[in-house]
Amino acid sequence: MDADRRSPGSALGPGFLVAVGLAALGFLIVPVLIVRAPIEPVMGFVQKIFYFHVPCATMMFASTFVAAAGSIAFLFKGSEGGDRLAHAAGELGILFGACTLVTGPLWGRKAWGVWWQWDARLTSSLLLFLILNGYLLARRYGGPGGRKLAAALALFAAVDVPLVYKSVDWWRTVHPQTTVVPTLDPRMRGAFWSAFALLTLVWGILLALRLRLERARAGLADLELLVEDQMEMQR
Amino acid sequence: MKRPWGVLGAVLAGVTTMVGGVAPAVAQQFEKVDEAARENLLATPFVAAAYGFIWIAILAYVVITARRIRRVEGEIASLRRRVDPGGGGTAPR
Repeated sequence: MDADRRSPGSALGPGFLVAVGLAALGFLIVPVLIVRAPIEPVMGFVQKIFYFHVPCATMMFASTFVAAAGSIAFLFKGSEGGDRLAHAAGELGILFGACTLVTGPLWGRKAWGVWWQWDARLTSSLLLFLILNGYLLARRYGGPGGRKLAAALALFAAVDVPLVYKSVDWWRTVHPQTTVVPTLDPRMRGAFWSAFALLTLVWGILLALRLRLERARAGLADLELLVEDQMEMQR
Repeated sequence: MKRPWGVLGAVLAGVTTMVGGVAPAVAQQFEKVDEAARENLLATPFVAAAYGFIWIAILAYVVITARRIRRVEGEIASLRRRVDPGGGGTAPR
């Protein structure tokens, strides 16, 4: 039976538990590294938001690319697995997008004196977040063709990612440029990459968890069909 | 040809009156402060709010996803019992 083959528990093995253990360790170590990192002289203590704001934005980008890759597999090869991957990644894109769009204004309020600026980086990030929301809404309420419509939206979202990334270099903006990370002070660099590794690990764990849900749903749909078949035969 | 000059003169007079009239009114709306407001903002609540939001959002997502998985697996177990009542009806592993 197909539902047996897609046993939902099979997605999470010992590797998943090791990842969860490492993430737990990261939650203990990374905050210490961030607190110990030097204070940025211009912005002061509020610059500490940077250590998680940038990785969150990167995870939003990664989610969007994964959603687009899965959508391509679904659109052009009819891959159900690709569609499930895209669905899971799309949801994570919204989660990390929300984290980016909340932490950014908190940083901006202190550093710039305003919660929001309609500059290229902030506006294109908001647009990406809205497209990802549109992706999930199209899946949920788009009717029979909703999944294909959503997959096309995921491709649009992926096109927006390079625009978001390069916007600070192409247009005049209040947001720091992409040169910030490569030119970080060595003492800040350790804290930043540790936080980046931790959030990447968390992203991977969440993706595995979310994929497990998608596989379970697929198994449930197969079983429902089987039950309907059995009921038909009994009649 | 006197009319355009007359119109221009009227516009200039209007603009001068507006600027002259508005500027003092705007200035009177401001109050003198010793420091800019944002200089008085403590950074700690912003940093705490940012980190708090991220961890609460991730934790909430894990809890919600785990609940959804449990619900779907419960439905799978229930359907398996219907399909194969003699098979023990074990929940999916």
